[in-house]
Amino acid sequence: MTNNYLPPAKPLGVGILGAGPVTQAIHLPALARLSGLLEVRHIMDVDPDVAKSVAARVGAASSSSMDALLADPGVDVIAICSPHQFHAEQVIASCLAGKKAVLCEKPFAMDASEATRIAKVSAKTGVPILVGAMHTFDPGWLAAESAWGDLPATAHTIRSSIVLPPNSRFEDFATEILTRPAAGSPDYSDLEVVKGMLRGGVMGLAIHDLPLVRRFLPAFEDVEVLHAEIVQPFGYVISLKAGGRSIELRAAMTATWQPEWTFEAIGYDAALHIEFSPSYVQAGSATARITRNGTTTTYGPYGHNGYEGEWRKLAELANGTGTAPSAETLINDLTFALDIADGTAAAATAAAALAEKVPA
Amino acid sequence: MSPQLSAHASPAAEAAGAVGSVLASLPVSLGPGGADADIRAISGKPGWTAEALAAIAGGARGLVVVEPAAEDTAVLAAAAESAGVPVVLDHRWASNAAVDGAAAAVLELAGGAALLDSAAAAAPHTDPELLLGEHLALVFRIAGGVQDLHIISSGPRGYTAAGRLPNGAPVALQGILTRALPGGVRLDLLTADGGVRISVPDPDTARPAETTVTTPSGATTLPTIFESAHRTSWRRLTGAVAASAQTPDLPGFDHLSSTLVRFRRH
Repeated sequence: MTNNYLPPAKPLGVGILGAGPVTQAIHLPALARLSGLLEVRHIMDVDPDVAKSVAARVGAASSSSMDALLADPGVDVIAICSPHQFHAEQVIASCLAGKKAVLCEKPFAMDASEATRIAKVSAKTGVPILVGAMHTFDPGWLAAESAWGDLPATAHTIRSSIVLPPNSRFEDFATEILTRPAAGSPDYSDLEVVKGMLRGGVMGLAIHDLPLVRRFLPAFEDVEVLHAEIVQPFGYVISLKAGGRSIELRAAMTATWQPEWTFEAIGYDAALHIEFSPSYVQAGSATARITRNGTTTTYGPYGHNGYEGEWRKLAELANGTGTAPSAETLINDLTFALDIADGTAAAATAAAALAEKVPA
Repeated sequence: MSPQLSAHASPAAEAAGAVGSVLASLPVSLGPGGADADIRAISGKPGWTAEALAAIAGGARGLVVVEPAAEDTAVLAAAAESAGVPVVLDHRWASNAAVDGAAAAVLELAGGAALLDSAAAAAPHTDPELLLGEHLALVFRIAGGVQDLHIISSGPRGYTAAGRLPNGAPVALQGILTRALPGGVRLDLLTADGGVRISVPDPDTARPAETTVTTPSGATTLPTIFESAHRTSWRRLTGAVAASAQTPDLPGFDHLSSTLVRFRRH
């Protein structure tokens, strides 16, 4: 794995839809490390002042209209960093605008029918689409993938564990944030709130690693959520099985300063353990360890993280030198996440019903 | 200095409890003995309480029980107290000397607990109930009571269990059978602004447990103790014999044993 690249004669122009904290603290710092390869030319946000201010940081044009950004001839590739519900339409519009490649933050659609529509448009227009599952582009993960051999076929237990401080801690290390969404005060005794938090946890946090989980499943259509509950103030404990594997998802966002983001795949004879660097900061890649027959081999850390990795991949696709993930892969990743999100709601409902029956 | 005590282990206890190595590391306190030795080590396989009662009737002055299975210990506890025979339960992980420090840290921070997550690893073909019992022994020792503890799934590759701490925070336990990882257990108590992590290795070596306490001001690693859980158990017992004192092990085992029996029925 190398941190070097040969920039093309003219950098690709980047247009970004949505100028919130993820754009400010993740994508702009990542792109700053890739000057010569990619150049931010246009930033759109529904708040024109935010768009203008964030665009000014990188000398880009700004607008509050998607159409204006798509019409900008200087924009070659699109990054969609808007709220989830806008993703599908913006991906489709970007493809129809004839851009060279599209990067969409996860989830790239809110249901399978949207995902299928996107896949059809991508196929028709020939515009490749990447979904920003950043860990799948992390050099530590990719190095492990090249070395894990038959582990995806033999792993019987998969664990994803995420412990994070509030996003603001790392956002402030990465940039100077212009705007932040207001934090709420959820009523944890309300089942609907709990179900909403579980769905939000799956689609907003677990989804980062669900493509990694799926990599170790021979099948995922039989996914069954066995247990789901929230962690306060935000997080989840979810137990599920799919494809004959036991899968444990843990997350806790507290006020700790100590982050830990790990992924494990464990079989009888081999195990993979990956520690990812936190989002927002440019802290390099994950470090992966593969243990087999009593020997542990370490991969990484390498010089860039998965966010930078996905931008590099997008540039490859736009320059016609890379292969895009198949539409089937993207749709299956989304379907898997949606099935788990639906399953957590059902599990939470069942647990609440059981708790009402059991006398205190 | 207390006079040397003679010690003897059944073959099963010797195999499970590495008794020979322990005795070799305590040569002043303990010496080899026959079947009528002062201190006797028995295996905790089913039927161990009857074996322990027989040892007490046979004149043992102290007992070590290696990895006890779930059994009713009421009769044994009464007999041990009546005869003044201390009994030490030698748990794979819970008996590790480092657990005291972790338990104290957890006690201090548990009011702000957000999640207790623990994963135990053992070799394939390990008896799942034995693994779960040893896992729960550690969790109960460190975290105290776990409410609404129930099994989510179990099978030949391990188990998942869930429960709740007294403040309502979720408890998530997983047992994993694998040769790829060293046997041991890791427990994380996450709190509102930090937490406690302890990783306890199997007692086949003196590799130390590692305990880290994280607070807003930083992370503190507790002192390492290069002593296996087996040796710690034997030291506790020799101390109790010398002091003619009982241990809290049998009364403390009731909750673990009844929990395992409840799971067995389901």
